[in-house]
Amino acid sequence: MIDLVKMRFRDKLLSEKLEFRDENIEVLGLELKKRVDKIFKRSFSIREVDTGSCNACEIEINALANPYYNLERFGISFVPSPKFADALMITGALSKNMYKALMNAYELTPNPKFIIAVGDCAMDGGDFKDSYACMGGIGDKLPVDLWIKGCPPEPIDLISGLLKLLSKR
Amino acid sequence: MKEIFDSIHYFCDEFSEDGNFVTIKTKQLKSLSLYLFRDLDCDLSSVVALRAKDGFNIKYLYSYPKKDYFFIVCQNIQDEFESFADDIPALNWFEREISDLFGIIPLNHPDFRALPLHPENYPIGFHPMQNDKIKDENYGTYEYKDVKSEGVYTVPVGPIHAGVIEPGHFRFAMSGEPILQLEIRHFWKHRGIEKLCEGKEVDEVLNISQKISGDNALSHALSFAMAIEKICDIKVPSFAQYCRVIAAELERISCNLSDFAGVFQDAGYSFGASGITALKEDIMRLMKLLSGNRFFKDFVIIGGVSKNIKPYTKEIIDIIKQVNITFDKYKKIMENSSSILERLETTGKIKKQTVKDLSCVGFTASASGRFSDFRKTHPYLIYSKLDFETLVLSDGDVSARVRVKLNDIKNSFKIIKICTNYISQVDKPKLKVKYEIKDGEEFGYAQSNRGNIVHFVKIEDKKVVRFKPRDPSFMNWQSIQFAVLGDVIGDFPLVNKSLNLSYAGNDL
Repeated sequence: MIDLVKMRFRDKLLSEKLEFRDENIEVLGLELKKRVDKIFKRSFSIREVDTGSCNACEIEINALANPYYNLERFGISFVPSPKFADALMITGALSKNMYKALMNAYELTPNPKFIIAVGDCAMDGGDFKDSYACMGGIGDKLPVDLWIKGCPPEPIDLISGLLKLLSKR
Repeated sequence: MKEIFDSIHYFCDEFSEDGNFVTIKTKQLKSLSLYLFRDLDCDLSSVVALRAKDGFNIKYLYSYPKKDYFFIVCQNIQDEFESFADDIPALNWFEREISDLFGIIPLNHPDFRALPLHPENYPIGFHPMQNDKIKDENYGTYEYKDVKSEGVYTVPVGPIHAGVIEPGHFRFAMSGEPILQLEIRHFWKHRGIEKLCEGKEVDEVLNISQKISGDNALSHALSFAMAIEKICDIKVPSFAQYCRVIAAELERISCNLSDFAGVFQDAGYSFGASGITALKEDIMRLMKLLSGNRFFKDFVIIGGVSKNIKPYTKEIIDIIKQVNITFDKYKKIMENSSSILERLETTGKIKKQTVKDLSCVGFTASASGRFSDFRKTHPYLIYSKLDFETLVLSDGDVSARVRVKLNDIKNSFKIIKICTNYISQVDKPKLKVKYEIKDGEEFGYAQSNRGNIVHFVKIEDKKVVRFKPRDPSFMNWQSIQFAVLGDVIGDFPLVNKSLNLSYAGNDL
């Protein structure tokens, strides 16, 4: 353990962590933090539901947790259950098999709730629109507050998107 | 090989050789299949069903690991066929998938339940790949194989999981702490890709192939492109081939790093996890610089590559060097920490026989003592010219899988170094060649970080009439049911992460 601590100081891993932060993200992030502070008393929790994406969207959402973006420092976190989430973040073209599970998650999320659609397929099915197994996204099934486009949207798009959602009200 | 061909001649009615593909037609299908699978120790690589003039045509693709040969065994059937899943367990899911999509029945199948089309959501008589009308419009239910006994309880998990991951259903039968049985139910994300691609243009299918499994976007595009290039006799310029290899290796590093971080995370060591995710971000930013997309989407095109990466050789070398240095430090931490190793060792053991029976691919097989890497056994692009050593371990536990992956990352660093050296010396880089789409059918394959991807493509009148992708996860998913036996449920995330399976690629 002592070696590890020594290594941390010797290699300046912690100070590198500050260098990681992209200027662009920092600005967006700080503004985002103000919004979250004001509306949700400094904590905004999101439940992610994948309804048939290609998993690229999930990788980008997971990337929000890495030291470059570190979304949690702004008070936004991903939670394990819809029961204590403020927003549902939905990816994928909504496969028939996932419809019931998604609706259950929606019912279980307490009001008031936000619906965030992430990725090109999430709103209208995108490339999978014509498939027998997809129901053409969530656009006409749930009240979507925000659609973050991209295939997949980059982490910076996701952060800007969240800012937009919170500045609307 | 002559001896083997002679033995095959003994079984077969028709025999034809085309490059490294050997097509066999026979009436003694079962004996031949068993000869290939057991005696020759072949892996089952893919099974493709096609609509034929009268009835259906089924192609079984076996890959021969000792030499660069593939065997395609064909049979023509009406509306039912004999199941071999009892003798070749790897066929189990393939036969159930064919039965769901085409409505043809595998006789004497050991586990004849619906697979991709959940009976709760699709009418029983609905078979998308068969163009008939729906015969039976009733819905059914899915029978789980729960263990019922005193003191045994069931823990159902999913389809929506706690983390930001894809959906899948797991049912643990527990007796006290240890797991007695794990049953997995997948295909929640079934998007009907096979049917969707019927009758589409080649470029449209290339686009969809990148969305089969997002993290392997490039490898999927590569196997599709190589299938088309084989059909149309396109010779890809050698500069483009080197670019493709660099891209494929960067993707491999990115995915393997993400696994490495996941293992740290699930072993409860977040310091390591966050450090490695930062390295992954470095690689993804490099990918964005090279191709304009963080996943190398639209980088591989038919006949070559879309972007010239020669101007960025210096950046590639610098970033890889930097990542390599930091990576070594984290690797050292893992190797020297008894508390992390204690979590990894003896957890999630998969036996060599299981790997053989299920025809597992990639690091799952290599970590259990069965070598599987198409870059070595069936070299494509320029891999036969490259010198790298792949690791085979016999432990079969999480630790072995992690070590195989870490060795893979090292190999990728080495390969990228060789390839960047080559492309920096090319004076007039040629990125792509012109081509014309021809009719025909071929298999294309590429090695992703998870294992080999095999695509079957058939083209008629310049349109894709049949596209059957086979993601490595489809071969490996069943192995998790054996890996967790006897472990505690708390180790499941670690085992799952060490196998790193794609739900999207499996569900199609």
